[in-house]
Amino acid sequence: MKIEILYPGAFPMARVQLAAGESLKAESGAMVSISTTIDVESKVEGGLLKALSRRVLTGEHFFFQTLRAVRGAGEALLAPTVPGDIVIIELDGVHEYLVQKDGFLAGSEQVRIESKMQSLARGLLGGEGFFILKISGEGQLILNSFGAIHKVELKPDEEYIVDNSHLVAWTATTTYKIEKASSGWISSFTSGEGFVCRFRGPGLVYLQSRNPQGFGSWIRQFIPASSE
Amino acid sequence: MAFQSNALCFGSDLPGQGIPSHVETTPEGLALTFSDQHSQPPVPFDQLSLEAGGFDHDQLVVKWTQGGASRTLYIKDAAVIAAFRHAAPPELLAHFDRAAASVRQVRTTRRTVLLAVVGLLVTLGLGAWFGSDALATWAVSLIPPEWEKQIGESAMKDVLAQQEVVREGPVVDAVKEMTTRLTEQIANSPYQFTVTVVKSPVVNAFALPGGSVVVFTGLVKEAKSPEEVAGVLGHEINHVLQRHGMERIVKTLGVMAIAAIVFGDQQGLIGLAKQLGVEIITLKYNRDQETEADLTGLRLLHKAKVDPAGMIAFFERLAQSEKETQRVELLSTHPMSARRAGQLTAELKALPKFLPEPFAFDWEKVQASIKSSDAQPKL
Repeated sequence: MKIEILYPGAFPMARVQLAAGESLKAESGAMVSISTTIDVESKVEGGLLKALSRRVLTGEHFFFQTLRAVRGAGEALLAPTVPGDIVIIELDGVHEYLVQKDGFLAGSEQVRIESKMQSLARGLLGGEGFFILKISGEGQLILNSFGAIHKVELKPDEEYIVDNSHLVAWTATTTYKIEKASSGWISSFTSGEGFVCRFRGPGLVYLQSRNPQGFGSWIRQFIPASSE
Repeated sequence: MAFQSNALCFGSDLPGQGIPSHVETTPEGLALTFSDQHSQPPVPFDQLSLEAGGFDHDQLVVKWTQGGASRTLYIKDAAVIAAFRHAAPPELLAHFDRAAASVRQVRTTRRTVLLAVVGLLVTLGLGAWFGSDALATWAVSLIPPEWEKQIGESAMKDVLAQQEVVREGPVVDAVKEMTTRLTEQIANSPYQFTVTVVKSPVVNAFALPGGSVVVFTGLVKEAKSPEEVAGVLGHEINHVLQRHGMERIVKTLGVMAIAAIVFGDQQGLIGLAKQLGVEIITLKYNRDQETEADLTGLRLLHKAKVDPAGMIAFFERLAQSEKETQRVELLSTHPMSARRAGQLTAELKALPKFLPEPFAFDWEKVQASIKSSDAQPKL
């Protein structure tokens, strides 16, 4: 499998070349185009409740597509929903990444993806739901961000504070605590940074340079109220 | 031999992402090789401190200082951890036990939180499902009938795509006559009822929101009289009039909204909703809705001067077949047919007596036409 990033910057695409028989896991809706040799498998079996309980109880995912080069080699173009960077991460078998759900774009077949429940505080306050993806194994992983993606390296016991909404991924060797951005509830919210994550090294943290929720509320003011 | 990393080494003088390393236990301590095949000086056991770490608290974190630089090693491989523990001197075993105790504590806390969250979700879900009938009815009253019609029509297209539709003939004429006779009696109906006959051995009929009614030929074939079919039609037409389908859709959307909150506003969930669109529309009605459709259906038959004995007879025959299959009422969305027949008989007694008028079509000819078309070999 060969991955190449086309048009890096705000509106990139990933071109993935698959050899015959190879397959790729991609976020549903990520596919832009595929060769005719590739089949897309994304059927949810057993209905909504079964898929949900499968996902909750066993961590099996239900919203990924598998692109499989069934009839010979071919290529697939993938793009995220939001404007922003794409990065390729080589997984070496010992590094494990935790990725917030919207950060995952695709991964090679050998990449293991599990849903993990994160801490109650982060689930309730983080705005990303209770589940995040834990990605391990060997192979290539493609992440995407809203805006540019920025990597922070933390040395052992080094601490670093990140706004919740700007988190994309972090390695499993880091630990984090959720806390208010400033002391006192009122100033926390009025400063526009409600909750933040205090990370502790060693490990890596990937950030996105734009805040999806912030962008959403900014754009909402320009949407005219529905006229009856 | 190819380099096989089984641990990650971090340090104040090393890159932040850590160096994949190979670790082995020797009688004296730890032997470490970096991924660049660079052997590190061996570390004696008495310099090490241990704790548990990693996202799942399933990694062993080993710390020591070497030549003024601190080192932190994350080991996940269970075999390596076991070998380490086996070789470790007694002083270090106390560290292992402390690490194991902290792992257990973290896991217990997580399990408690998970149970609490699942419990909360189940409560919320059940509350939304059972407590929101009034809310769903109110929400449905705000939906204009044109929307229902559009939803029903698009679902109808999906349903009929895999079916063989019977377009003309005695069965279609008969079903149309029955439908017209019943729907004529509905005052100020916002719905235009259309009925489609589908060739299938299934003994059933169903109605989609907005007034699209589907009758399977199996129902006409198995019915003992046209009044039995009219009874089923009366029931289905009332599901539409009482907007039961829309209530189910609104309630299901409510549950999905909760799911969306839990899982974040996930694109996949929207895709899933689209994929399950047809499934949602053909969702089962609940028992109260079935009973309501039975009773209002009976009144409609009464108004249209169709003999309600047919409807009751149909349920009695269903009750007979249920006895044979031993269906359990609690698990079923439809009330037991015997109870339904009983309720209908009681309701009929309360209505004023009338003289039923037969249908204009020839029932025997209708049934014969199904049998002859079944006998035809499929192309």
